[in-house]
Amino acid sequence: MKIFYLLYLLILMLGLMSIPAGAQDQPVAFKGVKIYPITSDVIENGTLVIHNGKISAIGDSNEVQIPDMAVIIDVSGKIIMPGLVDSHSHLGIYPLPPVEANSDGNEMTGPVQSHLRALDAINPADPGIRSALTGGITTANIMPGSGNVVGGQTAYVKLKGKSIEEMLIHKQGIQGGMKMANGENPKRVYGPKGQSPSTRMAIAALQRILFIQAREYKAKWDQYNNTSREEKTGIPPPAYNLELEPIVEVLERKRTIHFHTHRADDIMTILRLKKEFGFDLVLHHVTEGYKVAEEIAKAGASASIITIDSPGGKHEAARFDLRNGGILEKAGVLVAIHTDYPIWDSRLFLRSAALMVREGMSEKGALEALTINPAKMMQLENRIGSLEIGKDADFIVLSGHPFSVKTHVLQTYIEGEPVFDRNLTQDERYATGGYEVSEDYPIMEANP
Amino acid sequence: MKNILSILMVLITFAMSQKITIIADKLYTMSNQGNIPNAQILINGGKIEKVGEVNSTQIPHDYKIYKTRYATPGFIDAHASIGLSGIFNVRGDQDLNETTNPNTADLRAIDGYNPDDELVLYALKNGITTMQVGPGPTNPIAGQAAIFKTCGKTVEEVILKSPSGMIFNLGEYPKWTYGENGKTPQTRMATAAIIRKALQEAKEYTIQRKTQNSENYSYDTKKAALAMVVNREIPAIFSCHRSDDIMTALRIGREFGLSLILDSVTEGYLVRDKIKKENVPVLLAPTMQRLDRIETQNSSYENPALLWDVGIQIAITSGYESYVPKTRIISFEAGIAMANKLPEEEALRAITINPARIMGIDDRLGSIETGKEADIVLFDGEPLEYLTHVTHVFVNGQLVYERED
Repeated sequence: MKIFYLLYLLILMLGLMSIPAGAQDQPVAFKGVKIYPITSDVIENGTLVIHNGKISAIGDSNEVQIPDMAVIIDVSGKIIMPGLVDSHSHLGIYPLPPVEANSDGNEMTGPVQSHLRALDAINPADPGIRSALTGGITTANIMPGSGNVVGGQTAYVKLKGKSIEEMLIHKQGIQGGMKMANGENPKRVYGPKGQSPSTRMAIAALQRILFIQAREYKAKWDQYNNTSREEKTGIPPPAYNLELEPIVEVLERKRTIHFHTHRADDIMTILRLKKEFGFDLVLHHVTEGYKVAEEIAKAGASASIITIDSPGGKHEAARFDLRNGGILEKAGVLVAIHTDYPIWDSRLFLRSAALMVREGMSEKGALEALTINPAKMMQLENRIGSLEIGKDADFIVLSGHPFSVKTHVLQTYIEGEPVFDRNLTQDERYATGGYEVSEDYPIMEANP
Repeated sequence: MKNILSILMVLITFAMSQKITIIADKLYTMSNQGNIPNAQILINGGKIEKVGEVNSTQIPHDYKIYKTRYATPGFIDAHASIGLSGIFNVRGDQDLNETTNPNTADLRAIDGYNPDDELVLYALKNGITTMQVGPGPTNPIAGQAAIFKTCGKTVEEVILKSPSGMIFNLGEYPKWTYGENGKTPQTRMATAAIIRKALQEAKEYTIQRKTQNSENYSYDTKKAALAMVVNREIPAIFSCHRSDDIMTALRIGREFGLSLILDSVTEGYLVRDKIKKENVPVLLAPTMQRLDRIETQNSSYENPALLWDVGIQIAITSGYESYVPKTRIISFEAGIAMANKLPEEEALRAITINPARIMGIDDRLGSIETGKEADIVLFDGEPLEYLTHVTHVFVNGQLVYERED
């Protein structure tokens, strides 16, 4: 009880920006703040009003009408931008601590696993999820790993809730994309066991076989469904195939392929399959994308790219170049930047984009690559990815420019609810690290 | 890359003859002179000739002038794996971990170091001009580290000091490497015991070598190497993440009277008073290190600041990366430390003068002072900011990298 009282005091003293609990049905206005709406011009002195988890007003502080009932929060000197969208993450599927017992991302018992669903392995209690909130991430595409040619179904989630059911953005129907991969990883998993694929040729072949099977399966069902009721009598429906159903959704362009690929020739291979079978394609990592940027643009694929601090670590990542973002952007490719957590730290997601800006990506393009562009890759651009009236109230408060090393995410909101507040010691530990040792964590005297 | 190599070749030809002036809006000297606004540095014969405010000395007409916004000493990475652990991460370019014996004290980094690996050039382009590179994290007694400059074609050209220290590893890696194959060490107890036994034998070996005719006592490369450690001729660099492993390193250091340097020290902030009490310097794991093991779960961005806060001498290092990315860049790591309570000045010290002092090369490197080697980095913005570029790198007074725009 004492702790709760102290927390309450803390909120009163430091957390003037925090929304009091239970104020959800009341509008809240964030006033006097620089706003990056993303899909429109930066507002220097803006006000953002949220109500019932949605954005109800946004604009210049002199123009926005704040409702009488609203709680007004002064955020002068701060910056508000949309919650960040991570188009490639393994949060919850590789929960902390990283022990074998927690490792659920790669079912490496067969190269084609289209019937697996990430949502059946995501642990909402993963401390990594809470850490990701401190980096400003509010939405993620959580994927199976890249050890398989077809890794399984991805899940589009908000980083909020105690169960995967609460986290999932689509409560029913198709709840994510399809993870696929080529290049080294599947070869490394199966080749040494003397199994297929041990070459890039076999990777492509396995994928083609699957698409062709799905096409035939779909034809059977189409034929059955198009048969009149009388003719159907006595004819059993085709056997339901759990592996092929989601691939049919891919061919019908209802489910997007999220395709792990690095080398330029590997990128061209999946573009070749896209041409043959026709599907919505997001390339992931795309390390050598800068070599074939025009081809990617022409094929109508989009690129969700990774930022790492140095090239290498595996052969296909040796030609990594931070200019990738800028070059793809200039070629007209829809670009998102992702963490591939735990490969990259979710807490430093803004940094990933900043490094791309340093090497030639536009600031505007980089901000879009963290918000609206990944939202588009998940067909969620009508709900998230920018600050517009009617969209979800997913946003972050920053202490300074999004691309400065000195900037911290101060608060994160999902659907109007505060899910991270750096003023709260326990939350801050998730931002800095050491959340498990809170009692022993030393306090540093203020610097002179 | 070919351009840079050809620049290198040309410059090596004109070595030591080049005369340069650098004029910086802000110079971080990392010496007693502190930060100098509107500074100028005169360089001659590969050495720093004079440091002061602009116009404090007349610039002779034959000095080539470089103007810049910010300048710092070349960065010093006091524990890197670059050069032993190549960019491709295939068997052909991995020479870091000799996982065949828990005691490989006789291995020398110089015999595996590839100064031509692309990551060495990558480090150089990011302003890292000196690195200490040692055998990797898998063996309780890993072998002998060495200190190299990052530009030059052969080990002989780039070597500053070998051996510069003996690497010891506590914690998880040795257990995984040997324990899972049913070999020792399987436990932290065995790791400590292996180290203690070898150090004890080295002590006895030293005594026997002194008292007996050397013909009667055969030369043992491992014991001879560890004799340097117990005789304090080279420091013992103990990699330890968890706080109890840190305490084990301190315990063994005390027992054998070692010249101890702690390395990694992820949970250092939990025992910072103990580290401070023994006055042991610390080579920190990358601030942004991944939480990919149990022993790194409590990694905190504030660790550098919390250790500095009680007066512990810290250097920030790139450590060891087993996968993607293949190395860290210490200036990036120092930036995150700065963003988490470490003052900018101290963050820069942690990658310049502090590692130079800890490794005993501060008479030559680590700050911009008269008489020191002219390893200098120029920037177009604050050195640790995300959007800043390294524009020029000088090593031994020669321009070895210039950014193309």
